[in-house]
Amino acid sequence: MQSTHTLAVKRREKNGTRYAKRDREAGRLPAVLYGHGRPPVSLTLDAKEAIRFFNQGEKVFNIELGEEGKTQTVLLKDIQFDYLGTNIIHVDLARVDLDEEVESHAHIHLVGEARGLKRANAILTHPTTSITIRCSVQNIPEEIRVNIADLDVGQQITAGDVVLPEGVELLSDPSDLIASINTQIEEVVEGEAAAVSAEESQPEVIKKKKDDEEGGD
Amino acid sequence: MPRMPKRVKFRKEQRRARDRRATKGNYVAFGEYGLQALEGVWLTARQIEAGRIAAQHYLKRQGKVFIRVFPDKPVSKKPLEQRMGKGKAETEYWAARVKPGTVLYEIAGVNEDTAKRTMVRIAMKMPIRTRFIGRRLTV
Repeated sequence: MQSTHTLAVKRREKNGTRYAKRDREAGRLPAVLYGHGRPPVSLTLDAKEAIRFFNQGEKVFNIELGEEGKTQTVLLKDIQFDYLGTNIIHVDLARVDLDEEVESHAHIHLVGEARGLKRANAILTHPTTSITIRCSVQNIPEEIRVNIADLDVGQQITAGDVVLPEGVELLSDPSDLIASINTQIEEVVEGEAAAVSAEESQPEVIKKKKDDEEGGD
Repeated sequence: MPRMPKRVKFRKEQRRARDRRATKGNYVAFGEYGLQALEGVWLTARQIEAGRIAAQHYLKRQGKVFIRVFPDKPVSKKPLEQRMGKGKAETEYWAARVKPGTVLYEIAGVNEDTAKRTMVRIAMKMPIRTRFIGRRLTV
């Protein structure tokens, strides 16, 4: 369950790339607030504080906007990164009520050492790291712990097998693979001669079939 | 064996600009850790293969390596001492267009320390600066 922290926000007077860049250089994080049928508002957050909360898995916050009056609850909807994925450059916040049902993603945390991993060539595959859930804002879990201690080679855990907290409904496909243990098949290293012959060969060029068209006419 | 496409629409291709940042394929999607390019380059099929072999030798049979780039660009080169003209030369090698930010390799099923050591070995085979990254923060 999320603990609600208060974020210091400021309304952005000027929008656009240049102003957003200046905000980032000044230690502010550009954001947008929308939802509940009201017009969107451009904001900035204190970057250091906000990113610390995001890294802790926090999603629900309180903000105080001068013109809109009282304190309001917001849900973190999206995070945008720069091209290297190092820095957060923008976030989306949605107006919500604590009792409102929302769609959200819950991070999957695998717990325990799988029994099957003790065998030779066995590897743990963990393709899905989060699942989509539906629950009230106050019940959004920070993470969902999945115990893999009993998982053996050839066995798998799917989204449908995950035990969810009370009041949380699964929206992801129940057949989505969360974790599985497979045995690696050793790759055959081909000889140098094969590599040379392959280099000489060229791919097939896709051509239009003129003969068929002419035959049809 | 260096990779190349099985079928192509055209045998030769123009060079095109290559100084843009990666807007896709720039995060770890399949494994747990990745090797990210910090510069742009045409990564040849041989270099990609060298990286794969370096990873395979270090990992033995542990983990799984994902190669995120494919050499689908034919690069042609005229023979030595050839006079200019007489049309475009034959394909010399195949390359993958890598932009700054592109994830080149990913690894799954090993701990962070092993993944880091593997990526160092792959990075030695790369003609560009790279860095080790983990999965991105998701909402």
